Amino acid sequence: MNNLIEFFKKAFHIIILAVLLILSIVMLGTSLSFNEYRLARFVQSIVGPIQKNGADMIHRFKLGPENESLVQQNIALMRKLDNMYLSKYDTTYSEALDSLHINQTRMFDIKHAHIIFRTTDRSFNYMIIDKGADEGINRDMAVLSPKGVAGVVTDVSKNFATVRPILHPESRISAVVLPAKQNGTVIWGENDPRVAYLEDIPQHSEINIGDSVFTNGYSNIFPANLLIGTVKEVQIGSNASFLTIKINLATQYSDIYTVYLIENIYKSEIDTLKANFKND
Amino acid sequence: MINIISNVLRFLILIIIQIAVCQQINLFGYITPSIYLLALLLLPLELPLSVQYIIGFISGLLVDAFAHTLGVCSFAATLMMFARPYIANFLNGSSENNYEAIDRPIPGVKDFRWIFFYTLALVSFYEISSTLLETMTFKNFGHTFLVILGNTIFTVFVILCTEYIFHPIVKNES
Repeated sequence: MNNLIEFFKKAFHIIILAVLLILSIVMLGTSLSFNEYRLARFVQSIVGPIQKNGADMIHRFKLGPENESLVQQNIALMRKLDNMYLSKYDTTYSEALDSLHINQTRMFDIKHAHIIFRTTDRSFNYMIIDKGADEGINRDMAVLSPKGVAGVVTDVSKNFATVRPILHPESRISAVVLPAKQNGTVIWGENDPRVAYLEDIPQHSEINIGDSVFTNGYSNIFPANLLIGTVKEVQIGSNASFLTIKINLATQYSDIYTVYLIENIYKSEIDTLKANFKND
Repeated sequence: MINIISNVLRFLILIIIQIAVCQQINLFGYITPSIYLLALLLLPLELPLSVQYIIGFISGLLVDAFAHTLGVCSFAATLMMFARPYIANFLNGSSENNYEAIDRPIPGVKDFRWIFFYTLALVSFYEISSTLLETMTFKNFGHTFLVILGNTIFTVFVILCTEYIFHPIVKNES
């Protein structure tokens, strides 16, 4: 008996070693087979929340590259929108022609840029973006924020460009209010970066609070169907024939960083026609 | 008492670093340093062997839980703790288990050659067993061997750097 106790005392650490090694092998075996996944699931339920916090924290450092890839994906999707094309013939064969990409002529092309400077609290606001003539930015390109219309490029240098937002007294965007389908013009009335005015809407039209205001595509700068804002207030103005409509701008100028620039490919052609018309 | 506290603190800090930082490193796609082995290498050799095994097992299990490799690191770390006294004895040139408190891979206590071979032998032992257990196959052994080699070199490098940062060599003026 004493011998046995002596043996256990001597071999105790060997027994522990064997037990631990066998335990490891058993754990490995259970985590490999899907039938006995319970242990792995139990461990995961303990470490999962910790790992999620860690992953969230690490993810924050990778937001920049992820945003860039999302911007690229957005551009690819926006290029496919109907309002980026010159014409879509509504014919009997339109589906077949669509599949062959025959009747689609691209009218608008999209680029993206980042805002490096902006003002929103002055009476003449402007923004500066980090792309210029070298990256193919031209005057009169439309500027979109992720939420809606932001402004128009007014000046271009080699590497930078100036954008005139809606928050500028000279800014005028022709717009349509839906569902009333009345065309008007969006101007910036008050010195408030959240609010603009919609003018030239006849008094008889039915405008409700919350109606959406879109670009109508009559200018050769903005494509049609881009959101400008929603109706906030409707008043019968001093001028008896038109309504005074306040709209909430969709773009929140205080926190936009990435903007999309829309170029009209045929702008010079249309401008030439316009100039000829004036000369005549 | 201070010895116990410092050992426990070192153990916790290194495990946290291993889980939070080293597991996220994927150098060239497959090299991951195992810095928590330093806590095991620095354990006093005069501890009871069973306690050493249990500490190795628990530390491996903690790392396993976060790496989704249940059993791999715990097996390898326990095996490494088993091999540790033999390696230390071999490097000391003695065959008996008469350790002194001084037998620790700390610069200033032991010379660089002792520390280097002690670390290299145990880390390579750990990496070989853990990598083979994880792959469970000898197919494509070239790649497995590369993983073992890369992991061992990188881990030894990191462990030696850490040791020499926290125990700088004091030069004798005499």
